[in-house]
Amino acid sequence: MDPLTWTGNLSFLNLPLLFVTGLFVLLVAAQIVIWLISAVTNTPNADGTISSSGGGLSGMAARATLWAFYALVALVVAYVVLGALLGQSGGILGAMSQQFLPVWIALIVTYALSIRFKRKLGLYGKLFDSTVGMIGFGIVMFWTYTAVFSGVFDMIATHEPLSQVSGMKNKIPGTPLRGAEEGEFAFYLLGGDNLARDVFSRMVLGSGIVMVIAPLATLFAFMVGITLGLPSGYYGGKVDTILSFLANLILAFPVILLFYLLVTPEIIESGIPNYMAAFLFVFPLIFVGVLVNSRFHTQPQKNLLYLVISLGVLGIGYLTVISDQSTVIRVLPASLDRFDIEPGILVVFVSVVFVNSPTVFRIVRGLAMDIKTRDYVAAAQTRGEGPWYIMLWEILPNARGPLIVDFCLRIGYTTILLGTLGFFGLGLSPESPNWGATINDGRKLLSIYPHPALPPALALLSLVLGLNLLADGLREESLRD
Amino acid sequence: MSKLGEYEGPVLEIDKLSISFFTRLREIPAVMDFSVAVQPGEAVGLVGESGCGKSTVALGVMQDLGVNGRVVGGTIKFKGRDLAKMSKEELRDIRGNEIAMIYQEPMASLNPAMKIGKQLMEVPMIHEGISSDEAYKRALEVVTDVKLPDPKRMLDSFPHQLSGGQQQRIVIALALMSKPSLLILDEPTTALDVTVEAAVVELVRDLGKKYGTSMLFISHNLGLILETCDRLCVMYSGEAVERGSIEDVFDQMRHPYTQALFRSIPLPSADKNARPLVAIPGNFPLPHERPAGCNFGPRCDYYMEGRCDQGYIPMDTVEGSERHVSRCLRFTEIDWDAPIAAAITQEKAPIGKVVLKMDHLKKYYEVAANALFGGGEKRVVKANETLSFEARESETLAIVGESGCGKSTFAKVLMGLETATDGKIFLGDEEIQDVPIENRSTETISSVQMVFQNPFDTLNPSMTVGRQIIRALEIFGVGANDVERKQRMLKLLDLVKLPRAFADRMPRQLSGGQKQRVGIARAFAGDARIVVADEPVSALDVSVQAAVTDLLMEIQRENKTTLLFISHDLSIVRYLSDRVMVMYLGHVVELGTTDQVFAPPYHPYTEALLSAVPIADTSIVKKHIVLDGDIPSAMNPPPGCPFQTRCRWKDRVPGGLCETQMPPVRTLAGKHQLKCHLSDEELAAMEPVIQIAAE
Repeated sequence: MDPLTWTGNLSFLNLPLLFVTGLFVLLVAAQIVIWLISAVTNTPNADGTISSSGGGLSGMAARATLWAFYALVALVVAYVVLGALLGQSGGILGAMSQQFLPVWIALIVTYALSIRFKRKLGLYGKLFDSTVGMIGFGIVMFWTYTAVFSGVFDMIATHEPLSQVSGMKNKIPGTPLRGAEEGEFAFYLLGGDNLARDVFSRMVLGSGIVMVIAPLATLFAFMVGITLGLPSGYYGGKVDTILSFLANLILAFPVILLFYLLVTPEIIESGIPNYMAAFLFVFPLIFVGVLVNSRFHTQPQKNLLYLVISLGVLGIGYLTVISDQSTVIRVLPASLDRFDIEPGILVVFVSVVFVNSPTVFRIVRGLAMDIKTRDYVAAAQTRGEGPWYIMLWEILPNARGPLIVDFCLRIGYTTILLGTLGFFGLGLSPESPNWGATINDGRKLLSIYPHPALPPALALLSLVLGLNLLADGLREESLRD
Repeated sequence: MSKLGEYEGPVLEIDKLSISFFTRLREIPAVMDFSVAVQPGEAVGLVGESGCGKSTVALGVMQDLGVNGRVVGGTIKFKGRDLAKMSKEELRDIRGNEIAMIYQEPMASLNPAMKIGKQLMEVPMIHEGISSDEAYKRALEVVTDVKLPDPKRMLDSFPHQLSGGQQQRIVIALALMSKPSLLILDEPTTALDVTVEAAVVELVRDLGKKYGTSMLFISHNLGLILETCDRLCVMYSGEAVERGSIEDVFDQMRHPYTQALFRSIPLPSADKNARPLVAIPGNFPLPHERPAGCNFGPRCDYYMEGRCDQGYIPMDTVEGSERHVSRCLRFTEIDWDAPIAAAITQEKAPIGKVVLKMDHLKKYYEVAANALFGGGEKRVVKANETLSFEARESETLAIVGESGCGKSTFAKVLMGLETATDGKIFLGDEEIQDVPIENRSTETISSVQMVFQNPFDTLNPSMTVGRQIIRALEIFGVGANDVERKQRMLKLLDLVKLPRAFADRMPRQLSGGQKQRVGIARAFAGDARIVVADEPVSALDVSVQAAVTDLLMEIQRENKTTLLFISHDLSIVRYLSDRVMVMYLGHVVELGTTDQVFAPPYHPYTEALLSAVPIADTSIVKKHIVLDGDIPSAMNPPPGCPFQTRCRWKDRVPGGLCETQMPPVRTLAGKHQLKCHLSDEELAAMEPVIQIAAE
């Protein structure tokens, strides 16, 4: 079988793409130059909009740039759509596009529904008013769906992440498998790495690891940060001094050194990561418990019911997660302990939560200090509300804007942190397809074979970029009203 | 860079100006068909409620409308030259040099990182290119002109080292540095205390005369306009509705909105029974929801269907006076001298037994000198000194004083957010001075509630209105289950005259007055016996103030509530309170019935306070008392009488007693209490501050 070319039958699109891209770049440059040399004046139109005109020239340049941009987008869409239709005859791009078909469908459905009902969806709906936010959300959802479809439904990925095929070592993208069996995917779409594994499949499956750990770890970091930051900002005084000092202490500790320490076998042996997990994972319980109790304490029956339900579920989850027969914490008998986190992942999780929570703590503390001076907080105090009700129900909901934005940014930060940990081979097992480890593997022969290292690196880049754009869009939209 | 050449005729001439703001959705007209002319040396007032477009006019004159704003019609001529046709360089020359602007918030107008002298010197150095020595001389001269003590030290200090009143004087000095021909003042005294405001207003008026500057004075306060301006222009919803000289507009108003505005403000001269407040019904229209025809139509008493609701309504000259115009189709038909429709006189509930008693209440704060490690010497802030009074059932006790007088501290101690240092508070028979709020019983808490000042801050922005009231009901233990509480919540909305549909609204969908009503409903959720109202209407527009005030009084009548009304606005205090307590630096300086406090003998501070309140009534003659300096800091109070540093009667007390000894509380006729050293003869000889001019 012939090796696949990059674009196959889609190659008729290459020349227009090259042309349009060049034109777009030129126009953007021209626009900057025009903007620098001429003053722009705004004039209102009869329909109540405002348009800018600067001797016609800059207006023309702006319009041309916009058209070039649309053409560019149209060409990219054409690649994707035609590729999905043509499959392997559309070259590597076509084949990849076809593999991602479930993701495309899911994205289209998501966008269609969201835009249709955007006025009823609050802040999430408003996101679809901002181009930047929509692009960011698209990229993030692309990787989320990729993670779901590859991890749960076993779709997208073409090969097993660990299976090695003889003769495929360091082969370039589009190389056909020698003697592929019936039902087996016949190509390594993005080539093979130095252990003859499929780079494409490893990149796709790597997304699963990131998309599980990064948001969850960030969520836990927020639980810890919020639970400690609110009282620190609200009470001030000694509580604040002590907690802020601790936060500064953690922030001042060299992060990489901390990670190395945590994965040292002796430290793992002593059970420190497990104790830390037991400590950090208890915060969601405290958070939810206090949340429910402060709200319903005036109605004891309801309160008890809600508390039992929420704490029961969370408590069981907590116990099964922290209890592990092979480590020092064995709270549950083996028969009940159905679920264990892989020790490597636990270490990664704990360290990521540990280094992120002080920053969240400081943000929450600052917001709480600002919001506690408002009259509605005073009104709650004068009707005898408890401090935790005020913190969780009066202050926290009104701090949500900056917190949501920071949550998105922090997932991005955590993603990079996970990449770093994988790169250094800390925590996650070295042959797991996580992006950091894959980049590290590919790095060794980078000057000869760049193809194994680039896909995971670009994947990491695009996800973090998407998260940052999403955060920008959210910030822009949440500031608008 | 010289000034524009000599020009005869109006300094500023605005002709049929229309300004719009452009958003993604629509064009929002902010100012429509607005004309005004400012003659040399003349002061013109611009009055209207918030959102009526008065600040937009000022920004239009400065040609500083931002990215979205645009002049869509008409011209603004400064000394005969069209500002819109000027280049950026010419405009830069005019701004700050020929036209200067003074804003509401003084601290926001000053660069906090630059010494005051440098900021002042910058102005002529840039505009006139004079040397720094010369500029320094000019700065010194102007700072002396704005009556700041120790001008040399002032020039060498940073903005944060000055008080609010001093900062505003510096801003005025900054505006006067280049001797502009037009001064625009945008609510220049709103952020200041009444007595400081009076001093600043006097300063502005004197300087206007001295420098011959024309002024455009923007304010929502008719009283201030009366004191500062020669002519005024009343604005409503983007349009000028009436324009004329002060006498014409104040005494012979020819527009229904002007009339309604005057009827909705309380005048300290008028009796509340003879001249009840009349609130303007309805709400201010949003800029994109203005009605056809007359903007004021839907709220107007003289509205005529088929006439007032169509077409363009022009400004028309009022017969008999030259420069008096009104934008009303029917002003010739309306009987302007008709008496105010007799409001339904409501019998006030009789004042009952004592519900709250304060006995020598003291609240001191300790401020550590060294914040990080405690220790060091501690300074004591005496926020409340020996506060004693009683409040009875269905009584309104007004607590009057400027910022820093200790009224908020007193409210905190009463509510239990702080505990008293000394003295006693009796709520009924219960002593509550040492019980912090977490140890108080639900009944005690729900019987003392509070209405807050800032309507935009009083409701939690992320909870529906209904939810917030229900929460108060839950915490006060009202109602057995959710259904009962919901019913009670709807009843509370009825009580404050809000539609029941508002229960599902978010606070941002409500106007300021509506939010304040929700705040009142929340305070009355647990059938409060005592309600502390902390300036509940001062942040609202005048037309809404009357309605909210009336609502409070009506609820008080029905529930026999004791109202502790904290305010600095003596007009409204006179209108609604039974007794008045005047506070200064933590001390009660005067306490008596409303009539006692508003008539001589006064405490010297009360006298100054009364004189400082701007009154929108041309028939009133006020005695002119301006206090020097600022309120001393509570950290470092003066020895002897707290008021002695600013008192004009001090030299009448023999032996410098005021500077050494705290005056005793004296009880005059009818339980009227005064804290002053003045002899009985001196007190008896005091003249009333406010008098109705002899016809």
